[in-house]
Amino acid sequence: METEFAAKLKKYRLSSDEYERAKKLLGRDLQGLEWALFSALWSEHCSYKSSKVHLKKFAFSSPRVLQAMGENAGVIDLGEGERLAFKMESHNHPSFIEPYQGAATGVGGILRDIFTMGARPIALANYLCFGDPKAPRMQALVEGVVSGISGYGNCVGVPTITGQTEFDASYNNNILVNAMAVGLFTEGEPIVTSPARGVGNLVVYVGAKTGRDGVHGASMASESFAADSASKRPTVQIGDPFFEKLLIESCLEVIQKDLVVAIQDMGAAGLTSSSFEMSAKGGVGLRMHLDRVPLRDSSVGPEEILLSESQERMLLICEPHNLEPVREVFERWGLDIQVLGEVLPTPEMELLWKNEVVCKINPALLTDHAPMHDRPFEKWQPKKQVSNLSPNGAGDVALPAVLGSPQAMSRRWIYQQYDQRVGGKTVRDCDDSVAVVRLPTTGRGLGIVLGCRPSVMRMDAQVGGYDAAFYPALELSAKGFEPLALTDCLNFGNPERVPIMSEFVASVEALAHASRLLDAPVISGNVSFYNETMGVNITSTPATGMVGLRPDIESLPASHFTQSGDEIVLWRLPGVSYALNASGQISEFSGSLEPEAVALWLKAVRGLVTSNGSQIRASRVVGKYGVGYALARLSTEVLGARVQSTGWANSASANPWHQETLYEVLLVGVPGLLSKVNEVAARHRSTAWKLGSVEAGALTLDNSEHALGNLLKIYRTGWGNHFAQLA
Amino acid sequence: MAQKPVGILRFLGTNCDRDVWQAVETLGLTPRWLWHEDTFHPADYSGFVVPGGFSYGDYLRCGALAAKAPAVQSLSEAAKKGQPILGICNGFQILCESGLLPGVLVRNEGRRFIDKWVKLKLRSSNAWTQSASVGRELNLPIAHGEGRFFLEADGIDRLFENNQVWCTYSDNPNGSLKDIAGISSPTGNVCGLMPHPERAVTTWMGSEDGRVILSNLLV
Repeated sequence: METEFAAKLKKYRLSSDEYERAKKLLGRDLQGLEWALFSALWSEHCSYKSSKVHLKKFAFSSPRVLQAMGENAGVIDLGEGERLAFKMESHNHPSFIEPYQGAATGVGGILRDIFTMGARPIALANYLCFGDPKAPRMQALVEGVVSGISGYGNCVGVPTITGQTEFDASYNNNILVNAMAVGLFTEGEPIVTSPARGVGNLVVYVGAKTGRDGVHGASMASESFAADSASKRPTVQIGDPFFEKLLIESCLEVIQKDLVVAIQDMGAAGLTSSSFEMSAKGGVGLRMHLDRVPLRDSSVGPEEILLSESQERMLLICEPHNLEPVREVFERWGLDIQVLGEVLPTPEMELLWKNEVVCKINPALLTDHAPMHDRPFEKWQPKKQVSNLSPNGAGDVALPAVLGSPQAMSRRWIYQQYDQRVGGKTVRDCDDSVAVVRLPTTGRGLGIVLGCRPSVMRMDAQVGGYDAAFYPALELSAKGFEPLALTDCLNFGNPERVPIMSEFVASVEALAHASRLLDAPVISGNVSFYNETMGVNITSTPATGMVGLRPDIESLPASHFTQSGDEIVLWRLPGVSYALNASGQISEFSGSLEPEAVALWLKAVRGLVTSNGSQIRASRVVGKYGVGYALARLSTEVLGARVQSTGWANSASANPWHQETLYEVLLVGVPGLLSKVNEVAARHRSTAWKLGSVEAGALTLDNSEHALGNLLKIYRTGWGNHFAQLA
Repeated sequence: MAQKPVGILRFLGTNCDRDVWQAVETLGLTPRWLWHEDTFHPADYSGFVVPGGFSYGDYLRCGALAAKAPAVQSLSEAAKKGQPILGICNGFQILCESGLLPGVLVRNEGRRFIDKWVKLKLRSSNAWTQSASVGRELNLPIAHGEGRFFLEADGIDRLFENNQVWCTYSDNPNGSLKDIAGISSPTGNVCGLMPHPERAVTTWMGSEDGRVILSNLLV
């Protein structure tokens, strides 16, 4: 019956075009469990059907890349036996519905992507975008997300060492919660991938029991929100960090003992996506007895078993003679294992329920033949570009007002709830602009920093896309790290709307171009579309996570003034100029970026910071609210500065201290620093100025003197001990 | 003769075990794992550390399940023999739950997990503080959600009278009674401490003050 058919399409979130496509592939109508399989694997979340065409633009590599897109996480070679796996992923929709569990399971999921490959997780980072602090529910959302991350990350024993938190009304009904995890392989530790291999090998289920939580989660995350998001609460998963900790230890043990052939975690679309991907990638089939899956509740049926997104579960393939040693390891860590079936020679998934075959299908039809959409978009045109910034425009804000604003004030209230030191490798924590981890066997420094500034994205999606790579690269370079590679989490609104898709294409192309110029490939990532609620789309937010390497941690520049009398130098490569207003918006910008010039200049910055003779003691990238804000952040309880705006300021601007130029950096060092910077600066069409010197007691910008204690107090205590103080 | 190894206890959910291992090695000593399900011979070790973490997920009271483990029976024997035992963070909670130390650690006053550097004062000497260090101020990190020490009023007075309060916060971060950060057994060989000395043993970690405590393992 037509109406029944239409209802079924709606239930499984398949379009009639998609149904026809599936029908054509199968040569018949869909039957039984196939509905659920196509629904899950052809969802936007699993198939990347709206983005795949453009994600190919990231397809460039470097000799460092050992594993890129297509696996659980990307892996790069750091040399000297050390390798790094990392990835970033979104958990936006679940976090808006149920903030604590949504954020917690976001952390759990990204960690599994890392240790599944055999890497020990060593760091976590979070990119969070919230709405206006005064918006309805926002206080509960912020509190919930932060405690979810804290509750999960602290218990599994992986330090959360950096993050970015934004507030803007465009996220009022659709917050962003992106989590990044970094894992380390030391000398001799194998990298494990997911393709199933070896006919007759066993398919083994490990970890938590399967329940109804998260059924249809993947397709839920592939839809815009209506007003009734609370009704979707049952599709949110529940996390158990203690179980995850046991899984980390036991999985790493079986991997290091070389007892397994392949492992895949059960993430979005649970058992379905893990088993179908393992099978399709390996070019073999898998027989799985669904009734052998350990259940939380005996009434859970085969379709729910296939779609459940219960957390802390893994699927692994092992040779039959290794089953007992594998079982021994997991049991020692208090976990049960269950053999579900075996690897078959022909590439066919054979699903059984009480010894009866309930589904037999070529997995590639679902994993490789998903529809691909080349959604309509328009060629990018800069929108708010002017020849000169308006003299009385934005930027005319006083330093204390800036420091106390939700956009700029300290995030200490958030990160004090995260364990930043467990693991004993943390050199620089969330207090710093770049998190630094000491690599244990070589003593080298690993820098981790997040990127993407929503205010710049709102200004211009192309500039914002470049900035999502260049800004973190500059932060790394200013501390002497060589940028190595990127992960991204592309958060956008509804791709079926041309303006959104145009922003997606413009920013992805810019990001891809920037990463090529930096020789820092995008090795892993995630796309989150349909961040749209009741017709309102979020600010397009291509969040990034970048890692960099430096040979030592001893001469790492500080991020604050260390010595009175030091010279303060501003080094600028002129490009785009603008100023944020007090609420974090940009009304216009002038100039344009020259991406090639930026990439070369970044190298020069790193070269100078790491050269022996430069004697740079501190550095800070000039970002939001310009040089004035950067100087305030460099100041301590005792050391400030006396600086002048003559010479370097854009005369048209009302307040030069809060205007920004892409790109500029403050370097602080032994007197005579300017001449050292100048030796390099001229070669890069860049200019450097001495702003003044470090001085005890106050921060004096031209003639306005600010008491240090007061500035710090405003910056740090804006939301006191509680987010409610801000809201 | 080489010094006997330092035993590091591991429970399901312990997560500062590798950090303690690294710190013990940094001091030039040999660490050994002690698995929760196994008993051991105390005499084979020079001392013991019960690291922090979330043993058994802290789903019952913190440390309550770990306190029943076979390895803790052996640890009690070591305690009776006067061997040095240090419980850090969740390890402190386990020592309290197992009765090796008095009192209990409850949820922080602000009800949130706190990670920060704190100033501490060493107040009395024991197996983990030399008398020369008494009065010293230390800079160590804390990272806990349940670190507020609690004991009935007369019990607290007795702890002070017996010099069992060996470490206090200069600026109380969690509402702990009488600013208590660490206590010891009456004999001074069993000590509990909420801050993490193993996270402060080299300059790049931000402080070397953890050595003042952990270097007492060197005999």
